[in-house]
Amino acid sequence: MTNAIIIRYCEIHLKGKNRGFFEKMLRENIKKSLKGIEFTFTSMHSRYLIENFSDDDYLTICSKLDKIAGIHTYSKALVVNNDFEEIFLACKELCKDKIGTFKVETNRADKNFSPNSMQTSMLLGGRLLEIYSQNISVDVKNPSFTVYVDIREDGKSFIYTDVIHSLSGMPVGSTGKGLLLISGGIDSPVAGYMTCKRGMKLDCLHFHSYPYTGQAAKEKVIELTKRVGEYNGGINLYVVSFTKIQEEIHKKCPDEFMITLMRRFMMRIAERLALKIGGQAIITGESLGQVASQTIESITSSNSVVTMPVLRPLIMFDKNEIIDISRKIDTYETSILPYEDCCTVFLPDYPAIKPNLEKVINAENLLDVEGLIEDAMREIEVINL
Amino acid sequence: MIYLDNAATTKPSKYALETADKFNNECFYNPSALYQGGIDNSKEIKLSKDKLLKHLGVDNKNFEVIYTSCGSESDNMAIFCCKKRGVFVTSKGEHSAVYKSFSELKQKGLTVEFIDLNVDGSINEEILLEYVKNNKVDFVSIVHVNNETGAINDINKLAKLIKSIDKNIVFHSDGVQAFGKIPYIISNDVDFYSISAHKVNGLKGVGALIKKRSLNVSPLIFGGGQENGFRSGTENIFGIKVFEYASETHYNILTKNYDLVGEYNKYLRQNLDKEIFTIISSENASPYILSVSAKGLRGEVLMHSLEEFGIIVGNGSACSSKNRYSRVLEACGYKKEHLDGVLRISFSVENSFDEIKFATEKINLVAQKLKGIINK
Repeated sequence: MTNAIIIRYCEIHLKGKNRGFFEKMLRENIKKSLKGIEFTFTSMHSRYLIENFSDDDYLTICSKLDKIAGIHTYSKALVVNNDFEEIFLACKELCKDKIGTFKVETNRADKNFSPNSMQTSMLLGGRLLEIYSQNISVDVKNPSFTVYVDIREDGKSFIYTDVIHSLSGMPVGSTGKGLLLISGGIDSPVAGYMTCKRGMKLDCLHFHSYPYTGQAAKEKVIELTKRVGEYNGGINLYVVSFTKIQEEIHKKCPDEFMITLMRRFMMRIAERLALKIGGQAIITGESLGQVASQTIESITSSNSVVTMPVLRPLIMFDKNEIIDISRKIDTYETSILPYEDCCTVFLPDYPAIKPNLEKVINAENLLDVEGLIEDAMREIEVINL
Repeated sequence: MIYLDNAATTKPSKYALETADKFNNECFYNPSALYQGGIDNSKEIKLSKDKLLKHLGVDNKNFEVIYTSCGSESDNMAIFCCKKRGVFVTSKGEHSAVYKSFSELKQKGLTVEFIDLNVDGSINEEILLEYVKNNKVDFVSIVHVNNETGAINDINKLAKLIKSIDKNIVFHSDGVQAFGKIPYIISNDVDFYSISAHKVNGLKGVGALIKKRSLNVSPLIFGGGQENGFRSGTENIFGIKVFEYASETHYNILTKNYDLVGEYNKYLRQNLDKEIFTIISSENASPYILSVSAKGLRGEVLMHSLEEFGIIVGNGSACSSKNRYSRVLEACGYKKEHLDGVLRISFSVENSFDEIKFATEKINLVAQKLKGIINK
């Protein structure tokens, strides 16, 4: 009797001729994520098998699998030969600490195995009940746990009780590469997580405004980027100094357009950087109408300066829904630390909520847009996380 | 680097570290042990306690010292371990160690009153005494020197007035920003007094609660019965000796230091740009702390800009810098436009006049520059 982890994927099933590409990518992502741990890896039909790992590493492996996009579920299983007695012993082992109602569900790919699936379930259930009658009873309709018996054609059977749900989605890297604008707030890390989940490999871009924002604010962004990186198989954070641009806008343009113009600069810089690093999309944490810069007029204004697709995973999410996800991915507590944020220092009392594009462009014409962008692009700090 | 955040913590004294070094090396013994090394260390701790009491003008007949891990622990011990029920009174100007402890008492259903402050951060005496007169109060805790504004409460006088209303009231004061800095003799009306080593060039991890012998407290930490059973845990002999030597250095020249730091304080008061800065600390506050506000500017931005010149100042209380506005300055009556721009400049005798002049010039410079940018 040995241990194994069965990994199942979901949406890849739906793929046609290019299915191999997605499978390979998921396989590589799993192996990369488990680097440093000893194990053997086998590809099976629609699933992968991890074996020959130390019991001490089991929880570490689980915590890694929980963050790999493309994995639908996984189970820790006992592996035995296709022999009824061996299968029973494995069931017995798995049920020894169980309490509550149960059923046995048999899947018999090896049609030569006798008895048949129904009978196997029945016989195993009966014998389990005999030895553990104090703690467990049968309920086939709504059991508190199920003993799964998977009798394979290759002579091996997998016995397990728990099916753990992972991220689902698509393998990271399978749907291209994007650049996430990360601010230090609640939304952008969530947008990053959702993008990884849909298989897009990310790098992050943060605008730092020293001395208006300090080292603590930057550390906060590094911490948040790291969390996103856990779903991305590592990540690069690009830090661009935004001080000069903010000061120039503040000095030369009407206050009401401060945020609108800042967003336009951010988008332009993001597109240039994305092109430089092979990115195909810009990702933001914008949610429609959440703040002045996220009204449809403001989004129109910032969107109009780039041609690259801008993906906004949270666009129709409520704040509470976003917060729920940020708690789930453990970024909320970091996001709410109140250090000066890039957006708050020059925040006007009355920002334009529905900026008129023509007026925005007129205001922008007061600035040396190209020169400011070039200056900002000249010194980009890269942090590998 | 010009370090002007000495109210947050101070640089450990080289002299004290070197003098105490043997307690980290050859004299490392557990002070509770019964062999000679242990007995010697136990004596050393007793000696250090007598010295601390001497600095505060008292001896071990009426008072005793309980070593703790920090000022916050000392505050907690006084608040939670003496009176278990009744009416508890404090001010709105306390350090979080006291303020949050009182909030906890309130949570537990005890009657707790936070007394209003004067504009300089000192407690409003009239309101305090009025409250004590009209209520059956059991415990009062008033900070000696406000850690944000430097305002000094005359705690001996307050303790006396309170005891004249009801002699059974227990009086505690957080003396963390006063010890080793302000000339002070602890009066018989003060029952508990909290102090901390790292504010006087000692090490982090050592504090003490000075306590009247006649009062009983139950321990916060139970165990081997160290510190007369009041605070178990093997004594941090090295940290305690560093505290002893460092505080001795302060008390040897207390008034000289007080005057010198007073000069620094005065220089900044006179030379900070009056168009920009409002001085929050009153003239008779502790000279070690000068709290100012640059109206309409952000304290944090000024702080970062000054760091570029190697000047370190505080913005509000470092322990609670995660909260946007200072609770204490709000209680003093300051509004948002001032609360955003607070800088706390806190001195040490290790600062030189040249440093102070340089810092003043740069504080003005960065504030003027920032004001120019913000106001266009």
